[in-house]
Amino acid sequence: MIRLIMAFILLGVLGQQENENKIIARQGQISFFSYTSVENIKAENNQVLSIIDLENSTIAVSMLMSAFVFEKALMREHFNESYVESDIYPKATFEGSIVNYDPALSGVQTKIVKGIFSMHGVKKELEIKAKIEKNRGHFIVSGTFEALVKDYDIKIPPLLAGNIADSISVDFRFEYEPYEN
Amino acid sequence: MRTRKILFLVFITIGYVQFSNGQELLELLDKEQKDVPEYTSATFKMTRIAIGHSIETRKKGILEIFVANRFWNTPNPQSESFFVDRLSTRFALEYGVADRLSVGLGGTSYDGLFDGYLKYKLIRQRGDGKGSPFSITLMHSSTYNSNAFPNLEGDFSNRLSFASQVLVAKKFSPDFSLQIAPSFIHRGQLLAAEDPRNHFAIGFGGRYKLGHHLSFVSEYYYIANPIKSFDTYGPFAIGVNWELGDLMLQFMLTNAQRIADDAFITQTRLNFNFKNPNLNFGFNATYVIHFKSGLKK
Repeated sequence: MIRLIMAFILLGVLGQQENENKIIARQGQISFFSYTSVENIKAENNQVLSIIDLENSTIAVSMLMSAFVFEKALMREHFNESYVESDIYPKATFEGSIVNYDPALSGVQTKIVKGIFSMHGVKKELEIKAKIEKNRGHFIVSGTFEALVKDYDIKIPPLLAGNIADSISVDFRFEYEPYEN
Repeated sequence: MRTRKILFLVFITIGYVQFSNGQELLELLDKEQKDVPEYTSATFKMTRIAIGHSIETRKKGILEIFVANRFWNTPNPQSESFFVDRLSTRFALEYGVADRLSVGLGGTSYDGLFDGYLKYKLIRQRGDGKGSPFSITLMHSSTYNSNAFPNLEGDFSNRLSFASQVLVAKKFSPDFSLQIAPSFIHRGQLLAAEDPRNHFAIGFGGRYKLGHHLSFVSEYYYIANPIKSFDTYGPFAIGVNWELGDLMLQFMLTNAQRIADDAFITQTRLNFNFKNPNLNFGFNATYVIHFKSGLKK
């Protein structure tokens, strides 16, 4: 019986440890821009989730495509309905790891984040340069990368080809806090 | 026996810990995802399916410049008209007062009707299985007949007609939506005493997406108590809707020459076929202007 209790305690301790080294961002920001001579399009999502396991420097990001807000309300409808098809593919996710990252060091480090980005049913391997800031136990990860529209099987009708750039610039910024659950 | 149990537990524990330290961070994020209501968007992209209203209203601060045209030929085999014999155009401005409330003001050239409408999205379909499985929009329009009637008795009120509709629609899949529209029409001026003043009708409409920006649409209205002094038929339309960003185009074939709601539902005098002047080519163009930015700044 005692051993059974011990086993439960062990389970409890391990369970806690497992979360102790995780940090989470619940209001991460991702915005993207498309610059063309015809039209500039900007969209923001301030409800992006991200979690980092500091033990092995793995990172995951998850966002709802329908949470992107555009300058034009109708553009948001077009984006969800005709381009990224949010009814079928509601989320975009990223899972990967921060290469050679030492969470013990404070200050700013620039590291490569390597992983698989999944959007509109397409999985793509990405290497993103990210700035990781550690300040008294708080972590901020930010950066920019370029995504090609054609890589994600998103079709732009020829008549609108001039309005949407081939390469979309994506900005991200996540502020992490300790994960407790 | 007990030792085995403990060993089993320990293995499960160790297994669990290793499992969660791996690549399953995304599962943790799934649990964190807030339960925001997901309202179905774009059941129909445009505020009209083809000839009649759809459940869609425009978001707050959006102005639509709406031009609807119907072209048809007279039965004369020879004619001196360029392109087509007859043309009717309704020009309108339609504005989103709030996300769920739209107003519109317009005028039609051929029949001299001026119209205004109010449209309110009462219930929104939710795609996540919770809440309503369909959307309901209330539509009320009034038309003022500006034609000169030498023998029209009465005044202003005799020139007014009303159409009220309860638009009920469901987006069954990303590609397929259906709408049923019970309608009540009150006509101000009657051409014969035997004609009913109040009409009941029900509209059926559907959309099927042919591509990301192109959809096939069809619409039909059944009138329960039609006008008696002349023959009328249920207005029918088939067509395609094509959206190009801020510009949305609708092309259709229909037997309805009239454009205002009460007029096309109750006073479509010809049945749908490919003879002149029954066959009408319809073309709606909507240009959208945003007066409100969705981004904070």
